[in-house]
Amino acid sequence: MKMILAKTLMSFCLVFSVYLMDVRTAMAHGEKALEPFIRMRTIQWYDVHWSKQAFNVNEEISVSGKFHVAEDWPIGVPKPEASFLNISTPGPVLIRTERYLNGKPWTNSVALEPGGDYDFKVVLKGRLPGRYHIHPFFNLKDAGQVMGPGVWLDIAGDPSDFTNPAKIINGEVIDMESYGFTNGVWWHAFWGILATAWLLWWVRRPLFIPRYRMLEAGMEDELITPQDKLIAKSAMVAVPVMVLAFNAMANNNLPNTIPLQASLDQILPLPAKVNAGIVNVDTLKAEYRVAERAMRFDLKIDNQSNAPLHIGEFSTANAYFLNKELPVAHQDLSDSSSVSEEGMSLDNNDAIKPGEQRTLTMVVKDGLWESEKLDGLIRDADSRIGGLLFLYDLTGKRYISSITAAVIPKFN
Amino acid sequence: MSATISNRSFRPYTGEKARISRAYDYLILVLALFLFIGAFHLHFALTVGDWDFWVDWKDRQYWPLVTPLMGITFPAAVQYVMWNKFRLPMGATLCVAALLIGTWVTRIFAYHYWNFFPINMVLPATMLPGALVLDFILMLSNSLTVTAIFGGAAFALLFYPSNWPIFGMFHVPVEQGNGQVTVADLFGFQYIRTGMPEYLRIIERGTLRTYGQYATPLSAFCSALLCTLMYTLWWYIGKWFSTTRYLNKI
Ligand SMILES: [Cu+2]
Repeated sequence: MKMILAKTLMSFCLVFSVYLMDVRTAMAHGEKALEPFIRMRTIQWYDVHWSKQAFNVNEEISVSGKFHVAEDWPIGVPKPEASFLNISTPGPVLIRTERYLNGKPWTNSVALEPGGDYDFKVVLKGRLPGRYHIHPFFNLKDAGQVMGPGVWLDIAGDPSDFTNPAKIINGEVIDMESYGFTNGVWWHAFWGILATAWLLWWVRRPLFIPRYRMLEAGMEDELITPQDKLIAKSAMVAVPVMVLAFNAMANNNLPNTIPLQASLDQILPLPAKVNAGIVNVDTLKAEYRVAERAMRFDLKIDNQSNAPLHIGEFSTANAYFLNKELPVAHQDLSDSSSVSEEGMSLDNNDAIKPGEQRTLTMVVKDGLWESEKLDGLIRDADSRIGGLLFLYDLTGKRYISSITAAVIPKFN
Repeated sequence: MSATISNRSFRPYTGEKARISRAYDYLILVLALFLFIGAFHLHFALTVGDWDFWVDWKDRQYWPLVTPLMGITFPAAVQYVMWNKFRLPMGATLCVAALLIGTWVTRIFAYHYWNFFPINMVLPATMLPGALVLDFILMLSNSLTVTAIFGGAAFALLFYPSNWPIFGMFHVPVEQGNGQVTVADLFGFQYIRTGMPEYLRIIERGTLRTYGQYATPLSAFCSALLCTLMYTLWWYIGKWFSTTRYLNKI
């Protein structure tokens, strides 16, 4: 008996741990868990903006932004053939009502093209009040989750204010929160009652020891009565007949059902926005000085635009390093938490003139390399860095380059 | 097994002995119920898993293939014990009922109250009609072969039609983003699951679909064949694990 008890307890613990595992994957979005080279050289996010960060239940907000898919996609990461822009939430505290990629409605997964530029918008509706830490992020098939920048959202109000009507194709409006629930419970109850009746039919008699003794005594025929047999025979016909009849009824009531939809959406990249060919940046060398937490780049910049340009910022894996000498404003980073206001310095801050080719040294120095766990790069199997370099002319017009280079560590 | 008590000298329990034996019945039943709720439910969550959890995984192909195949395991083993040791034709029904109790409890508490999913998005499927037929066939045939072939097949073939009245209405089309999706797909799109991107669903893929519109019957017959084998395998697992050596001492 003790054995059975112990087994029972053990199975409960096992079941419980399965749910814990489930919940853990739902809660921890592991924004820094992925190797730095994947976070820096796959989806390169920028201009991510939330329309609101405090709102009510049933109110719609949106998060929009842009991303560049790195040309230098790591060889160790499967190509983004099926990708899904997701939102990291602790369960559906918000629902996703609409999603767009390059202005096109986007329901399923999509194949992204390395080197491609995309903009996105996700419309969300508050469902449960609370304060939540939330990121847009990409699920990349066989590769993992590449996080976009995170924010805190405050949802106020009463959960009962939430409504989610949907219009099915015959024009009828259904309530997603309750659709099919009563019907499902009804069918479970129906079969549950039949099954309980069958179980009780047997349980009402003396069970284990008496029946075992009779069986051992060779009196097993007395254990099944003619009445039992009659009931089993008729039920054996009746149950399948009922199943098929109910199935036919359901089919009649639902003439226009379709299979689950499993196609990939087809959305092509935008005309080039990053590495668009007007300003070309070539990384000659990249060095990481461990003690100073400084990444040093030797860059060759070719300005084919007709305006003088300044380097404004460097961003990688949602960390932003700004050039404080820049005379014009940088992108709106009010939503971002990992911003180094003075992290970037250049050996020559003069404007790069139209037609000029200049080789310069850029030092990007901040504790963010360490706190964002990007410095692990130098100990990785793939120690190439990638990121976006933003250049501005005096009117604020922006040119973006996706730069990439192998990193050489300097330990002292 | 040696018949230690001869037919003629057999005396049924009476009085105090009968009462204790009855109390023992209830104890075993309650413990068995909890054991099956725990163990079968765990087995089911780890094998059928997402196909049973989410409405947008219940496709025509993999769901009716995988669910009966993994669902017939414990019923087969428990049927062996219940029938061969006690002539009780209720092993399959008891197992599947226990599974459903466990499933409903976790859908309500773990999925709905703890993780906020609407229950209609995580409604469990039922295998009770198949389990009942499995018990009837075993009782009437008293044969492993007949039960494996006809019971196993019935268990698989009855699965999809007994669940269509529950899940059919989730396959009604809705217009979403300039395309049509089912209500089930819409659940998957709207109710955010961080660890479950759309492409992860193993649905409607592969060669089973090549025969035009007849995906479900093909899957069901394929499952019926496999269930026959699975039933036999788990019947012997039940035999392996069952022992009455404690009972012999009473
Ligand atoms: Cu975060």
